[in-house]
Amino acid sequence: MASTIGALGAVEAVLEPLAVSFNRPQPERLDAVIRPDDLLTAVRTMVNESWGFLSAIVGLDHPAPAPVEGEAEVEGSIEVLYTFCKGAAIAILRTTLPYSQAVLPTISGLLPAAMLYEWELREMFGVEVIGLPVTGHLILADDWPDGLYPLRKSFVGFNGEEKSQ
Amino acid sequence: MSADTNKFVIPIGPQHPALKEPANFEFWVDGETVTGASVRLGYVHRGIEKGAEARTWVQNLYLMERICGICSHVHATAYTLGVEKLAGVEAPPRAQAIRQIMGELERIHSHMLWLGVAAHEGGFDSLFMYSWRDRETVMDLLEKISGNKVHYSANLLGGVKFDITPELAAEIHKGLEFLDERNRFYLKVVNQDETFIGRPRGIGTMTAERANFLGAIGPTARASGVAHDIRVDAPYLKYSEFPIKVETHTSGDLHGRFIVRINETFESIRVIREILDHLPPGELTARMPRRIPAGEAISRVEAPRGELLYFVASNGSDKPERVKVRTPSLCNWSTVLSLAIGLKLADMPMLLTGIDPCFSCNDRSVSVKRGTQDSSMWSWEKLRHYGIEYYR
Repeated sequence: MASTIGALGAVEAVLEPLAVSFNRPQPERLDAVIRPDDLLTAVRTMVNESWGFLSAIVGLDHPAPAPVEGEAEVEGSIEVLYTFCKGAAIAILRTTLPYSQAVLPTISGLLPAAMLYEWELREMFGVEVIGLPVTGHLILADDWPDGLYPLRKSFVGFNGEEKSQ
Repeated sequence: MSADTNKFVIPIGPQHPALKEPANFEFWVDGETVTGASVRLGYVHRGIEKGAEARTWVQNLYLMERICGICSHVHATAYTLGVEKLAGVEAPPRAQAIRQIMGELERIHSHMLWLGVAAHEGGFDSLFMYSWRDRETVMDLLEKISGNKVHYSANLLGGVKFDITPELAAEIHKGLEFLDERNRFYLKVVNQDETFIGRPRGIGTMTAERANFLGAIGPTARASGVAHDIRVDAPYLKYSEFPIKVETHTSGDLHGRFIVRINETFESIRVIREILDHLPPGELTARMPRRIPAGEAISRVEAPRGELLYFVASNGSDKPERVKVRTPSLCNWSTVLSLAIGLKLADMPMLLTGIDPCFSCNDRSVSVKRGTQDSSMWSWEKLRHYGIEYYR
């Protein structure tokens, strides 16, 4: 456990100038909230420090809450979690993108393994990944409709089949 | 001939010479030498992550187990560990030990399956038939414990369904003795049979640095000397009380992957024997709430193919907000695409098989076949006997 705490301390120190805030939801896990503009720098920092490996890119959809009368409408957002693992330690770079600006730079230039994860993120959540060297579909069918992203909460299946279950 | 690159493109798949599962690869070749590669997945995509959001926590246990027919138990284990973490519940020690036994039996069956498939791709079909015949022993053991050969359904949220009685333990010991002996023979074969060694040795060699750079995990990385195994790095279940030794090899080629996987089956056999001899007493289940408190949990387990990561988020209801599954096969694809360059086209089937790819894990889809014929039920023994008689 000592090495895990040490590893998390080290990553907290190097991400300090970039992170908006830190959070420790589990003893072995550190979440760092990063602005989308700082993502590439943050990932480069992780790579330069050789801090673990990129284990997964997780997308989370936060749809807009139902509009309340008299209050301004809030836009939904996509949260992207870049999950790095080193031994038992987990460090997550979290960044939130509003639907209207769901754009991120690719990190596949720094970490080639990220290519498939970014591709999946683009298909499933509709996050445009600038500089991703691939086009077309990875997982979805060739005739899948454009602009329909299955892991967004707004997608409830064709003809509402998923909803009826 | 591709117009833009002015190179020959050989499409392989989705129906495949190399694999029994669908994926499409494009290899760009110059003569016999591969100069580039690309992959297209998704032919068996089922939308399980989306489906999980519409099902209850308990229903999802069965859904997650059906992500993969080879490593079904490890998926259910990763999911239950994540949900238990969110609920603040820990399964009783005996249940954790039984989960570990099931997980290690599953690893033996998966590695023996791979050994057969890889031998077949190498043109060594006798090894394929022998290893698959012997693999029945471990599948029979799984069936004796759970009643099922493939989807054992041993896990519950908060524990396990099946106990291991002393009589069952004796049977498992007996089966393990046979498996141990057979795998020692296979280790000898893959190390001594010159006609076979010529096929994987020196092919697809990957250094430890490159494996790390490409994000390789599991036996694929361990065959390149990367001593990374989540059972040791972050022990879960009873892996701190019944630890395993990380098996690595330094050759980094496809041959090293054979040696690592066979040695891992010995480690699994050793650890199962140890647990059976010191099985903790007590209950099999702990009480779980129906609604899981809001929060996020990450659980990581070592599947036969490498580290499996589950990200489970709850919004406090009886259904998950999100279940993200990152399977080991997905991590290892980039090694195939990168190592292919410079190899001969004929090496591609072996290289593809070398990472032990699992498409169900990648794609997560399901196909349901309803029998329209005779619906009478046959026992497994009757079916087996029928099969033997039919081909006699």
